[in-house]
Amino acid sequence: MSYFDVIYFLAFLPGVIIIYNLLPKKIKPFILLLASFAFFFTYSKWLIIFILLSSLSIYLAGLTMQKIDSEKKEAIKDLEIDEKKIIKAKYLNKKKIVLIITALFNVAFLFYFKYLGFFKGIINSILKLFNINGSLKIIHHLAPIGISFYTLSAISYLIDVYHEKYECENNYFKILLYLVFFPTLVEGPITRYNEVRDTLFAGNKTTYKSFCFGYQRILYGLFKKIVIADRLNIFVKIIFTDYMHFSGPIIFLGAIFYTILLYMEFSGTMDIVIGSAEIFGIIIPENFKQPFFSKNISEFWSRWHITLGLWFKDYIFYPVSLSKGVKKITSKIKELFGPRTSSLFMGAIALFAVWSLNGLWHGAGYQFLFFGYYHFILILLGNIFEPLIIKICHKLKINRENILYKLMRIIKTCLLIFIGELFFRANNLTSGIEMMKRIITNFTFKGFNHSVLTLGLDIKDYIIITLSLIFILVISILKEKNIEVRESLSKKHIVIRWACYYALILSIIVFGAYGEGYVPVEPIYADF
Amino acid sequence: MKNVFKSIMFMIILFFLIIIITYFLLPRDSVRKYGIIKTSVYEILGEKEDSIDAVVIGDSLIYSGISPMEIWHNFGITVFDLAKSAELISSSYKNFEMAIKSQHPKLIFFEGNVLYRESKNKPWFYVWEELYKTYFPITKYHNNWKKYLFTNLNDSMNYSKINIYKGFKYITKSKPGKKLDYMKEKEKIEVPKENQEYFHKIYELCQKNNVKLVLISTPNMKSWNYGKYLGTKDLALKYNLEYIDLNINNPLNIDWKTESRDAGSHLNYKGALKLSQFIGKYLKETNLFTDKREDSNYASWNEAYDIYKEGLK
Repeated sequence: MSYFDVIYFLAFLPGVIIIYNLLPKKIKPFILLLASFAFFFTYSKWLIIFILLSSLSIYLAGLTMQKIDSEKKEAIKDLEIDEKKIIKAKYLNKKKIVLIITALFNVAFLFYFKYLGFFKGIINSILKLFNINGSLKIIHHLAPIGISFYTLSAISYLIDVYHEKYECENNYFKILLYLVFFPTLVEGPITRYNEVRDTLFAGNKTTYKSFCFGYQRILYGLFKKIVIADRLNIFVKIIFTDYMHFSGPIIFLGAIFYTILLYMEFSGTMDIVIGSAEIFGIIIPENFKQPFFSKNISEFWSRWHITLGLWFKDYIFYPVSLSKGVKKITSKIKELFGPRTSSLFMGAIALFAVWSLNGLWHGAGYQFLFFGYYHFILILLGNIFEPLIIKICHKLKINRENILYKLMRIIKTCLLIFIGELFFRANNLTSGIEMMKRIITNFTFKGFNHSVLTLGLDIKDYIIITLSLIFILVISILKEKNIEVRESLSKKHIVIRWACYYALILSIIVFGAYGEGYVPVEPIYADF
Repeated sequence: MKNVFKSIMFMIILFFLIIIITYFLLPRDSVRKYGIIKTSVYEILGEKEDSIDAVVIGDSLIYSGISPMEIWHNFGITVFDLAKSAELISSSYKNFEMAIKSQHPKLIFFEGNVLYRESKNKPWFYVWEELYKTYFPITKYHNNWKKYLFTNLNDSMNYSKINIYKGFKYITKSKPGKKLDYMKEKEKIEVPKENQEYFHKIYELCQKNNVKLVLISTPNMKSWNYGKYLGTKDLALKYNLEYIDLNINNPLNIDWKTESRDAGSHLNYKGALKLSQFIGKYLKETNLFTDKREDSNYASWNEAYDIYKEGLK
C-alpha cells in the first residue's frame, strides 16, 4: 500500500483514526503500533522480523549502556580525580563495545540487503582484472521496506544514548513504534528519538483542527505527486530510456523535469507523512525547506532531505572531523600552511566521508557514488573559492544582497543540481556520461518544439504543469516568508476556505495524471 | 456538533460538485481521444447489433494470430478478436460481459495463455477498482477535460469507432523462434485458483447466453508448455468443454523461422494466415454458421475487407 493509493488515504488512514480515537489514551500508541505492523506487512510481509530484531537490539543496547553508566557512577563515587579518569575510561570502553557491536549488527542487515550484490560485483571485476578464475554469485534479496531509513534512526538512538544526550527508553514497544511508525516507515523523515517521543507516545486525541490540517497537508502532497510528478514521468521515462535519440536541449529538459519530478514525489510524500502524523497529534520534523531557493550547493543540502543531511552532519561529519587522526594531521597542516588551509583540509576529509556514504545510501551503484562525489567536489570548491568571490564582489562593488545577484546564484545552483540529478536518474554511470556528452556535443534546438510536443505531453499538459508549478511557487514563497498558509487560510471566510479546498480536491481528480495511459512514479526514495 | 455538521455539509457539496463535473467529462464517443483506449474491447460495441458469429477472447496471441478479415473472406463467418495485450482473466470476464450485451455470438474461443497470467494485485483490488470506476466514472474519464470541457452535453454516447481489422493487428516483421522443444513433457501446472474462479464466471455467462465455449491454446513457444497444456486439459474435462491444442506436434505446421514476429512469442501475419484458416475451417465445420458474404446486411464487412486487403503490404 503506497501513501498515494486511494486505499491509504480513504480507507486505511480513516480506519486507524476511528479506532485510535475510540480507545483510551493509554491504548492509542498500541493502535498505532498495530496499524504500523499491518502497513509494513502489506509491503514486506515476514521481513518484519528484521525490524523487530533491529528494535530489540537497540533497546537492549540502550539498557546495557544505561546499566554501565550507573555502575560507573557507583564505582567512581568516592574516588580521587585521577582514579576517576581511569575508571571512567574503562566504563566508556565497555559502552563503546556495546555501541559498536549493536551498530554493526544493524548495519549488517542493511549491507546484506542493499550492498552485498554491489560489492560482490566489485570483487568479481577485480578477479576478472587479474585473470583469476571464479566469481561470486550475486543474488538480489528483497529488502524489508524502509530499511535504509529505520537503520539510520536506530543508529541515531544508539549514539545519542551512548553520549547520554537523553536517557534510554525502558519500554520496548516505544522503541518499536519509533522505528516502525507507518507514516515515516517507507520514505522517512529520519527522525531522532528525542524529537518525536513527546508526541508519538502521548496518545493525543485527533482534534477537528488536527484532522483538517492533516488532510489539507495530505491533499497538497497528492497534488504534487499526481498532478505534476506523474505527468512529468511520461516525458522523463522516454528521455532516460532512449537518450541516444535526442538532442542536447531535450536531454537537459529531461534532467530538469526529473529534478522537478523527484522534488514533487519526495516532498509530496513528506506532506502526506507529516499530515498523517499530524492527525494523531504527532509532530514529525520537516524534510524540505524550499530547496530551489538555495544560493549554493551546501545550502541546497541543508534544505533538501534535511533529516538525512543532519544525520550525516551529527554522526559522520563531526565525529570524523573531531577524530584524533584528523586532528593530528590538521594541526600539522596548520603549522605548515596556516589555519585556513588546515580547516579546509579538515572539512574536506569529513565531507569526503559524508558524501561517500551519502552516495552509497542512495543506492548501490557507481552512479550513486558519482552523485555523492559530484556534490562533494562542488561543496569543496564552494568552500575554497568563497573568500575569493567575496573579495571580487567587493572590488567590483557588487552587492551580494542584491536580488538580481541572489537570483543568479539560485539559477547557478539549480543548474548544478539538474546535472547531479541527471546522473542520479541515469540507468548507470556510462549512460549518465553519455547523456552529458550529448548535451554538450549535440546542443541544437533544431526540431526542439516538435520533440517536446511528441514525447507524451501535449500543450494542455504543459499548461497544467506550468499552472501547478506557479501554485507551488506561490506557496513556497509564502513559506519562505514564514507565513503558515493553512493557518492564514483557516482565518478566511468559509466560502473562500471551502472554495480553495474544493479547487484542490477537484484539480487532483480531474487534472491528475492517473488511469489509462499514465504510469505513476514509483516511490523513488522507498528503494533507498 | 457544529464541526460534525460542517464536515457533513462539506462532503455533500463535494459529492455534488463531483457529479456535476462528471457530467461534463463523460465520453460521448468510443474513440481514443475521449479516454476510451482499450480499443478492440470497445470497438466490438461499434459493430452492428447481433452481427458477430464468434468471439475470440485472449491476449496479444489472439490479436497477432487470428485475422477475422481472412476468416470472413474465406468462409463468410464474422469473428471478432476481443483481445488486449497482457490481458488478465478478470478483464476478459468484464469485457466479455460488456460485449455480450450487444452481441450474441454462438461460439466463444478462450485462449489458454490468459488462464495462467496472474495479477500482481489481490482480487479485492479489482472489486475496489470496479466499484469506484462504476460509481465515480470521473476517475476513468477525468482526462477528457483535454477534449471537451464545454461541448454539447446533450449528445448521447456514440460508439463510432469501427475497426476494419476486427481486433487483429497486422504485423509482418519476423524473428525466428529457436526453442523447438518447448512442448517436451513436464509436470502439470494447475490453473491458478483465482483464475479458475473467473473462468467459472465466464463459463456461467456462456451457459446463460447459450454460447458454446471452446478452450484453445494457439502456437506460442515462449510462454506455453506441456505443463500448462495438461492444466488446461484438466479444466476442459472439469467443465466438459472442447479443448484445441495447436502446439503439440505443431499441427498447423508453423515455420518458426519465418512465421513469428518475436522469436516464438507471437505469430506474424504469415503465421496468422495459417491460424485464421484453421479457425475459419473449424467454425464452418460446426455447422452453426451460414456464409454471409452475399448477405447485403453484411456489406460493410466486404467493404472492410477491401480496405484491409489494400493495407496488406
